[in-house]
Amino acid sequence: MNFTREDLAKLAAPLVLALALIGAGLAIVWSANDARAKALTRLAEAQAERRQASQRLARIAEEEREVHEKLDVYKQLKRLHILGEEQRLEWADAISRIRRERELLDLSYRVDRQKLAKSVPGKPANVDFFASLMRVQLDLLHEEDLLRFLADLRASGNAYYAVKSCSLTRTGQAASGTNMTPRLRAVCEIELITVIDKAAKR
Amino acid sequence: MRRLLYFTADDHFLYSASGGRLELEAKFSGDDLGVSAFRDYLRGRRGALFSVIADLAGEDFHEEQVPFLRGADREAIVQRRLAQRYRDTRLAAALSLGSVMTPQRRNERLLLASFTNTQQFAPWLDALEEADTRLAGVYSVPLLAPALAARLGARGPRTLLVTANRAGLRQCFVEGGRLRFARLERTVEMTPQALAAFVRSETLRLAQYLATLRVLPRDGSPLPALVVAPPGERAVFEQALGSSDARVVFQTVDHARARSAVRLRHAPEGTAGEALYLQLAARKAPREQFASSGDRRRFQVWRLQRGLVAAGLSGLAACVVFAGARWLETAQLNANAAEQRLEAARATERYQRITATFPVTETTTENLRATVLEFRRIAEASPQPESAFAHISRVLEQFPQMELDAIHWRVGRSEKREADTLDGLEVVLSGRVSATQRSDYRGLTAQVQRFAGALASGGYQLVGTQLPFDITSAGTLTGDIGGRDTGEAPRFTITLGRKLP
Repeated sequence: MNFTREDLAKLAAPLVLALALIGAGLAIVWSANDARAKALTRLAEAQAERRQASQRLARIAEEEREVHEKLDVYKQLKRLHILGEEQRLEWADAISRIRRERELLDLSYRVDRQKLAKSVPGKPANVDFFASLMRVQLDLLHEEDLLRFLADLRASGNAYYAVKSCSLTRTGQAASGTNMTPRLRAVCEIELITVIDKAAKR
Repeated sequence: MRRLLYFTADDHFLYSASGGRLELEAKFSGDDLGVSAFRDYLRGRRGALFSVIADLAGEDFHEEQVPFLRGADREAIVQRRLAQRYRDTRLAAALSLGSVMTPQRRNERLLLASFTNTQQFAPWLDALEEADTRLAGVYSVPLLAPALAARLGARGPRTLLVTANRAGLRQCFVEGGRLRFARLERTVEMTPQALAAFVRSETLRLAQYLATLRVLPRDGSPLPALVVAPPGERAVFEQALGSSDARVVFQTVDHARARSAVRLRHAPEGTAGEALYLQLAARKAPREQFASSGDRRRFQVWRLQRGLVAAGLSGLAACVVFAGARWLETAQLNANAAEQRLEAARATERYQRITATFPVTETTTENLRATVLEFRRIAEASPQPESAFAHISRVLEQFPQMELDAIHWRVGRSEKREADTLDGLEVVLSGRVSATQRSDYRGLTAQVQRFAGALASGGYQLVGTQLPFDITSAGTLTGDIGGRDTGEAPRFTITLGRKLP
């Protein structure tokens, strides 16, 4: 059967309707597929969340022990003022006091600008480790004076003292009867480390 | 709803068929008055669906063979054969009876059928055309007979179907599920007994005629005849047809059962056997019919319109079913996700309940851990020089002839000695050897090497030794034999290393 133009015109509306119906069907399928893909993603996220929560719960005993153990160290850091802002005046006081108490002949020092040594990720905020490099020069009568100086410095707190280098050399000066002549000279580089815990309660 | 025009030689009856119900809508006489009444009836029924079912005596059946062809070639040869056989091919049909092999080629057997007087249809078909109705087809009762025989349970290869219609006694010979021959014998008002006897005599006559034409096989097996008895006359028919005959075996079918077989639930009063054919034409009309494609154009377009919409609806339904399955799956996934989230929330709540009993910290657990772990790492990487000095001091006590001028202690490698030192701690000792003559090369070298060996203990490794005299092949060996002794003690340098944890 051959179709006339009139026949084809009569078929146009049903054809458009059929295409619209199929298009609507495909849109429904697309929507269903999209919803399914999103549901799969949500399920994967929920599974990961549940797994993480379960694992954290399973580790809780270990965590409790860890908290107990680490809390002691943390408190000690706080007591020694290693945790907190730099106390440069305290450092200067401590060095003066050590020199006076240990009767050191000559002592000079220079503390450089503070630098961020490391930022450790934490929750809810990072923990930042700062370091200030101190160069100290001492005239010594005996090498034991250097060791005592370092021990006193550590005991004074206000920072963690990480000795990076120490050179001990003879001065070559001969001892005189009237003045105490330094026989040794020590030059040390020490990092004064402080910690800022941004999540710590003030 | 479909309208059926039952076309007989005298009157024409218009039925409406819907849901297994036949209703008589109008009756028209076969003359011009009837045509006018029909035109009046069609007024306002634009687009209505019509089928014409002819039940006429003047129907011609002629068997032909044509070459076995398909598509347009077959259509062309069929139309040519119809044109050769009939003067007016407006209402002519070619029914395929299957293929047959001849010694020359494979042929197709055709049953050409038409009416001897097609002009009687013309005004009625024209009226339908003018009224803008949709003509599904023009059928004759014999064309519907194979379908009725099948519905009535005809099993054998050949069946003679006999019905008493309003137009007369209709006899259709069906072979292999296809129509082979039919005839209509007009009847007058008669008693059931007389009608049954008439059925018997006419059926036997037809069987004899078919045998004469050699349409029936010569093996002598009797021809089964299915006779649909008029309502309430089955017993009379069974009695009249019961006596066996060598040529025909009669099987009487109750009219009610026949109606049930074609799913006809209601037919108007006075309707006879033709109701069965009308119902079949309304419900599931056969492909073969007489109307030309021109007469059926509106119906074909309408059917295509419906087909397109049906295809669209089917596509939509398939998509909805598929999407429904996906939505169900999505709902299940969402339920699973909600369950997982609930379990996570429960675990978190339990965790928080337990951690609430932990000692009070001034920071979060994560920061507490991060602070202490990193601080420990820094502390482990920051050794104090005291232990190194103590180690050197202990070794020096064993070597009183050694005098140290300088000790350089540092964490990490010196820039000068990158390749041969260890990552960790480095101690460089510079000194002199006293109480040994400068000219005693071997003694001096041995003492420095012993001293260096003693220092390389307690975790320290010997990284390098610079002797008073360079005795390595890579160095420069110098000497001043017989010269004046300056009194300066020979100098050495020892480098130690230690790995940090």
